Amino acid sequence: MTAFLAAIGYEQWILHVLLGLPLLAIPMILIMPVHRARWIALTVALIELVLGLGLWWAFDPANPAMQFVTDVPWIGAFGVGYRLGIDGLSVMMVLLSVITMPLVVWSSWRSVDTKQRGFYALLLALKTGMLGVFVAMDLFLFYVFWELLLIPMYFLIGSWGSSNRLYAATKFVIYTFVGSLLMLVAIVWMVMEVGRATGTYSFAYEHLLAHAYLLESSGPWLFVAFALAFAVKVPIFPFHTWLPDAHTEAPTAGSVDLAVILLKMGTYGFLRFAVPFFPGFALSESVGLVMAGLAVIGIVYAALVAMVQPDLKRLVAYSSVSHLGFVILGIWGSTVESVQGAIMVMISHGLSTGALFFIIGMLYERRHTRKISDFGGLARVAPLMATAFVITAFSSIGLPGLNGFVGEFLVLIGAFGRYPWLVAGATTVVVFSAAYLLWATQRVFFNRFTNPLNEGIGDLNMREIAVLAPLLLGMVWIGLYPGPILRRTEGAARMYIEMVEPYLSETPTVGGTMFRGGR
Amino acid sequence: MLIDLSSPGGAALALLPEIVLTGWALVVLLVASWRHRTAADSRYVGILSIVGYVLAVMATGWLAWVGARPEGLPLMVALDGFRYASHTLLLWIGGAVAVLSWRWLERQGIIAPEYYVLLMLATVGMMLLAGAADMITMFLGLELMSIAVYVLTGYDRTRRASAEAGLKYFLIGAFASGFLLYGIALLYGATGHFNLVLIGAQLSATEPTLMAKAGLGLLLVGFAFKVAAVPFHAWAPDVYEGAPTPVTAFMAAGVKAAAFFALARILAEAFPGYVELWRPVLAVLAVVTILVGNLVALAQQSMKRMLAYSAIAHAGYLLIALWAHSDRGTAAVLIYLHAYVITTIAAFGILASIERAGARTVLISDLEGLYAARPFAAMGLSVCMLSLLGFPGTFGFIGKWFLVAAPLAEGELLLPIIAMIGSGISIGYYLPVILAMTLKPVRTRSAHQTIRFPVPAKIAVAICVLAILVLGVWPNAVLDFATQEAVQLRRLAMPILTR
Repeated sequence: MTAFLAAIGYEQWILHVLLGLPLLAIPMILIMPVHRARWIALTVALIELVLGLGLWWAFDPANPAMQFVTDVPWIGAFGVGYRLGIDGLSVMMVLLSVITMPLVVWSSWRSVDTKQRGFYALLLALKTGMLGVFVAMDLFLFYVFWELLLIPMYFLIGSWGSSNRLYAATKFVIYTFVGSLLMLVAIVWMVMEVGRATGTYSFAYEHLLAHAYLLESSGPWLFVAFALAFAVKVPIFPFHTWLPDAHTEAPTAGSVDLAVILLKMGTYGFLRFAVPFFPGFALSESVGLVMAGLAVIGIVYAALVAMVQPDLKRLVAYSSVSHLGFVILGIWGSTVESVQGAIMVMISHGLSTGALFFIIGMLYERRHTRKISDFGGLARVAPLMATAFVITAFSSIGLPGLNGFVGEFLVLIGAFGRYPWLVAGATTVVVFSAAYLLWATQRVFFNRFTNPLNEGIGDLNMREIAVLAPLLLGMVWIGLYPGPILRRTEGAARMYIEMVEPYLSETPTVGGTMFRGGR
Repeated sequence: MLIDLSSPGGAALALLPEIVLTGWALVVLLVASWRHRTAADSRYVGILSIVGYVLAVMATGWLAWVGARPEGLPLMVALDGFRYASHTLLLWIGGAVAVLSWRWLERQGIIAPEYYVLLMLATVGMMLLAGAADMITMFLGLELMSIAVYVLTGYDRTRRASAEAGLKYFLIGAFASGFLLYGIALLYGATGHFNLVLIGAQLSATEPTLMAKAGLGLLLVGFAFKVAAVPFHAWAPDVYEGAPTPVTAFMAAGVKAAAFFALARILAEAFPGYVELWRPVLAVLAVVTILVGNLVALAQQSMKRMLAYSAIAHAGYLLIALWAHSDRGTAAVLIYLHAYVITTIAAFGILASIERAGARTVLISDLEGLYAARPFAAMGLSVCMLSLLGFPGTFGFIGKWFLVAAPLAEGELLLPIIAMIGSGISIGYYLPVILAMTLKPVRTRSAHQTIRFPVPAKIAVAICVLAILVLGVWPNAVLDFATQEAVQLRRLAMPILTR
């Protein structure tokens, strides 16, 4: 496989094709007849999937540096380039995106019946934006993709969402836009400072990273500017209030894209930019404590709030906040294990939360309600759906043998050395998350069959099975055999730790050695 | 080509674009005095005026093409890339406004073809203001522009709001001119010169005197009135709302651009020695303007009023670029003004097409459901809003990027952060426009049925919107041009100053 990919020059064109193909398809969708729109979108998504899966083999896990690098000048007067590249972190995110894409299109097959052209065109635009964020190796390019994403998401929520959609869409855009404004100042400031010292004004990631030490004095506020943008997107505890609204009001496709990809952009930003640029400040004792503390508050608080949600989608939205807290904890745990765990949580949260949103969307299509109390005993009429939901719920809870466990376990073990008490606090969430998800499962799929309206609910059809099956397979596969993924992310994690290690106050050993011995 | 500006022939050559446009304006005036009765007459004169703009652009292009440079000092008018760039932009604004007014005036029942003559003369004034190398020429240009625009503002005589706006603008404008004139007189008293470069040389060589400082202060106040910077902005919302919409576009784009071009030239050529004095003043003006403009815009219901306050806020952003006092800053002024002007023209062009004769001003809520009825108009206006907001993918973003970079390169952090806070506030009033147009349903069935978009106006707006998008992605040509022209402004002054 690797030889074949090398023979067709795969690494030269793959990233450009992945980015360009959805954009090229948009005019086609707009001029073709309406009923063709979904077919075009699906075709593009499947092509992207087939091409994108090649990354799994073409990517060299032994090489921790950026691969598939492109560097073409774009705005020369300003040192901006069309610079792309991927490493072990971004390759996983890219794969996650290309895998989600056809599922999202497929899940919207019947549920979107108005303005189909616009819907699928926006989905494709969203795809380009998401991929762009993960492969951009130029801060200007990154910022452009980062912001451009807002437009398709805004219209997806605002136009195809449920009753309170305008409020949710506006809140989402305003939070993200305002959050990232200071990042713009910070990026330009970095380029200016580094340029003044080195004589090269360039937005290239590698260039800025290599000279980030020059920014020691302004590091604190630069980090704050970056962190604010990413914290809103993750979202970290006090900035999370846009998420339940956006998730709840968005159409299924929007919720899934939001959960699987968009939230990961924030944590990706921390791992790629915020911490490696300013490790001295970011990993100092006090900042570390604040970030890890907020992460743990978010983990526990969101789980408690999820417990009392009457709306299924809102419940899952809060569970997202809780899960993403683990990623932040893993990043600040600052060991190879915790960082790998963080990446793993990013992947497995995508699988399990994506699947939960798909199933809730299917329920909504059938009954036009998401309220838990409207359901009950569905397992009797929809056994397949119940099975899928139970497996997904278990994976989300973190049951050993399924994917959720691997990441969270790695994070807890890796971060224990640095923050033993916080990790102990975070562990309690296993109880809470079991409580809210199992309780919800019980009230929706088990209990007594009380509501006669639920009689007509059909079980999963073939299309829906096809949407869920890849995700369920992924959950089991990662749960049982996470090695291949861990091997691919290890280089990036090691590289990251090497970068930040000199700035760590003390090197934790407890969890680290224990795990290394165990593998 | 070297031009001797002290000889009449040389001066005439240097002023070729202005002379062409003025001459053509007089010809058109003659035509208009014979044909001013019917709507067809008005349209005919409109077409003639557009020809005049094309001729003037060609004259400017010729000057730039032969590379006209002054022999020795630039007397009366500057001959540099900065002037050609500003002339092209200003002529473009005038031409676009003429196109937008075509058929719009007749639809509103305004049949008086002298309108186009005034438009051309106002453009000549703006060109003189932006290209002047001498305080007297500058004042001449300013007055020519202002008086023509006062009349244009009150042109819709039958509407009270228009007459009121004309009178208000006239009173405040006369006041501002007074400040400027007094400032010029004091500077002449302090230095004995009217020429910008000579004033600059004189001021750099001597200790700051009270008279020169006072002159600078009065000049800044005068310009602050013209660009509508807070606290000298109070006239702007009423005047923008009352004026006929194409004239509002002309004021928001043209007058502001011309005043900023002139201010950039004055500060770079005449006051490089007083940087420490005027920088804090600009900084305070910028901060107050950005915050007040953006916050008050949040509360507006009427589109024109909202855009008026947003124009005030944008003046604040531009002041930050001037504050930088560097080549980067001058380039930022050029780039940002181009982005702002193109966007403003397009936005007002679409707005003008939505207005109905005799109806009240367009509210944001009147735009609800526009996308369903007029998808292209709605998309165009959305692009304009995003560009004003400075969203990536639009030309406005490139402008914002440059604007932030200019003070940061000088080591200043607070002003860019204030600008970003302003930008963060501004999403609160730009987004609702997009929301109303695209996501809200149409209110009544008869809404949006009266939109009239004449083909020439459509083409002008389409060019603007496409330019916003294309230059947002591929701005290289404009950026290279601006960075070269900005350096010229400095290089011209430097050898004379150091002599």
